[in-house]
Amino acid sequence: MSTSVAPSATAAPTPAAARGSGAPGRGTPRRRNEKAAYLFLLPWFVGLLFTLIPFGASLYLAFTDYNLINNPNWIGFENFQEMLTDEDLLQALKVTGIYTFVGVPLSLLAALGVALALNKGIKGLRYYRAVYYLPSLLGGSVAIVMLWRYIFGNEGIVNAVLGVFGIDGPSWVSDPQYALSVLISLHVWTFGSPMVIFLAGLRQIPIMYYEAASIDGASRWRQFVSITMPLLSPILFFNLVLALIGSLQTFTQGYILSGGTGGPSGSTLFYNLYLYIEGFQRFDMGYASALAWLLLVIVAMFTAANFLMSRFWVFYDN
Amino acid sequence: MSARLSPKSTPLTRRGFNHLVVGAGAAGAVGLTAACAVEPEEVVQEPADSDEPIELNFVWWGDAGRAEVTEAALDLYRADHPNVTITTEYQDSGPYKDKLATRIAAGDAPDLMAIRRDQLREYGDRGALADLRTLDAMDLAGLSDPVLAPWDVNSQLIGVPAGLNTIGFIIQTTVLEEHGIDLPDGDTWTWDDLATMANAITAASGGSIYGTCYEMATVANLYVWVRQQGEDLYTEDGRFGASEATIQSWFDFADEMRTTGGFPPAGFFDATTSAAEASYIAQGRVASQIIPTNNFKSYNEACGGTLALLRIPGESTATRRGQSIDCPHLWSISSQSAHQAQAAELLSFLTNELSAWEAMGTTRGVPPNSEVAEGLVPNLEEDDVTATEYILGLQAEDLPPAFADPVGATEIQSKLADVAVEVEFARITSADAAAQLVATANDVLAD
Repeated sequence: MSTSVAPSATAAPTPAAARGSGAPGRGTPRRRNEKAAYLFLLPWFVGLLFTLIPFGASLYLAFTDYNLINNPNWIGFENFQEMLTDEDLLQALKVTGIYTFVGVPLSLLAALGVALALNKGIKGLRYYRAVYYLPSLLGGSVAIVMLWRYIFGNEGIVNAVLGVFGIDGPSWVSDPQYALSVLISLHVWTFGSPMVIFLAGLRQIPIMYYEAASIDGASRWRQFVSITMPLLSPILFFNLVLALIGSLQTFTQGYILSGGTGGPSGSTLFYNLYLYIEGFQRFDMGYASALAWLLLVIVAMFTAANFLMSRFWVFYDN
Repeated sequence: MSARLSPKSTPLTRRGFNHLVVGAGAAGAVGLTAACAVEPEEVVQEPADSDEPIELNFVWWGDAGRAEVTEAALDLYRADHPNVTITTEYQDSGPYKDKLATRIAAGDAPDLMAIRRDQLREYGDRGALADLRTLDAMDLAGLSDPVLAPWDVNSQLIGVPAGLNTIGFIIQTTVLEEHGIDLPDGDTWTWDDLATMANAITAASGGSIYGTCYEMATVANLYVWVRQQGEDLYTEDGRFGASEATIQSWFDFADEMRTTGGFPPAGFFDATTSAAEASYIAQGRVASQIIPTNNFKSYNEACGGTLALLRIPGESTATRRGQSIDCPHLWSISSQSAHQAQAAELLSFLTNELSAWEAMGTTRGVPPNSEVAEGLVPNLEEDDVTATEYILGLQAEDLPPAFADPVGATEIQSKLADVAVEVEFARITSADAAAQLVATANDVLAD
């Protein structure tokens, strides 16, 4: 990492040079970079306009009793009080929590493992990278969740394989004990995008560190622990934050697997699915809006905690 | 797809990284609940006799076959009303329900729509559906009082049956013949007769085919069981009328058959589609099951034409009759529609015109207009005749009344589904399940 040049380092000496050497009207490189940044951000700003209004509406509705058809009624904090005794909400938090705290570490481990293997300079890297990345593109899609349902169904491939070994597999999809694990396995399978980011991070670690370490007689494991992991920790942190946020917002997988019910017996009742059921099936959009804001607070808290803890384990090489 | 992985790219600094992440996640969480408020105000109406070109949006749930015959009926209407353009949409029933909710919430309600029985009052009580009696173009003369009464809620007629319907027991006769088991008499058989038959089939087939199965969480099935115990699942005044003992007996009866072998084990049901071809009876995994009678033809075709259609057991011996004309499928007109008169005219055509029914057949059940029903029978295929005569036979008898499900029924149904699974996998007792369901139902309906 230390071989590359940070933009802040280049920016300081160059303005004078840029001014001196002409290039009129094009501004300093720093300015140019900023302009370019805003240009790239432009679609986001346009999107923001369409997001802010629903944000505001949702905040207002969170304090109302609103059934989608009649006008909302202001009820103050009643929706939030209701949450305190809502058993379904507790179940939704439990399901989402298990999914996140089991699925995210497993998928990051898989991503890191495959990235390390691919980083060995094997032949056909592009091919493998694409193959392992593919599930990430497909994982959230309806078709793949349907496929997963068949694979783990009573007469699916999984039970057929288990049958070869004389094991009478359970009904993975309709047994409340196993349904969530089917979705966690789908989650782990879609490790492609963190893998690509890990791979990019691994490529940035200067080879000379490893050369120096092996001359000093450090083992492969020692090199991994003392060079790879510290230098990769910002990447790991980045992946962790994004995966956590994404996982807390899971919706499609639970919706499709359970046919929109969160079943069997609430075992796939993800937070966002519960929110959807309250809003669009039970016609309590006020409560659903309040749930959305609670989720925002939860996500923000986890992200903040993540950042606080990162001081103790993330190493920035600058 | 593959990002360039240049080893000389800029490394991630702490500041740069923080800027990248902050806000990236938060944005998604709140986006889901944005919806627009709809004012249930008076909508300016297009006059009934208008020749102006208008567009009617008409939606229902069902498969491609149902869509084809419905379009055929609509084509007859289109030919007579060149100024009316009818746009249609259909989906499977689950997604349909969700899509309808979002459309109505967004102020984009269809003019004419199919509504599930358990959702009728969810919309109707909130003013989303037009009172059909106030629409002059709506011809209700051919519909009898028992046909309309359940949908007459708070003195407003908010739906008419898209077809008369009930549930029936189908039995694969080839399985009975193969194992030398007699077909029960559908008019007099009891639940114990069902258990005896089911256990015998499973035993005789060595467990390769289960004697019977029916869904514990389908309310249409539960309605009948509860009525047979002298109660109503939902009463006329919108309360939960089933006792804990009745709900417990519903679970216990199937559980006992599960123990004795007639009913499949826990986890057996994991079908991904409701299509008749994919049903367990068509696949030869079970020998009998409960179906809505309008589906008899598709099931019988999928099963090789060897099904018998029987009444639900216990009808002749229970405290009270359990079967009624429980229409799951109603037509309603949106109160937001600017073309209510035209929608009512189309609905009258679909309800009362023999030619429309000749095109549609009994995909949604028997015509609610008895004159049309009689006229239709000679044109029907054999399987549809069987199902139609089944309904007409029941209708001629003294049946308990059906009532529209109260607001909140959706939530009670999801509780029913949850406890049914818990009992199936023996995670709670049937007594606990019954207590939980009744408590939830009373809680929901008290609001």
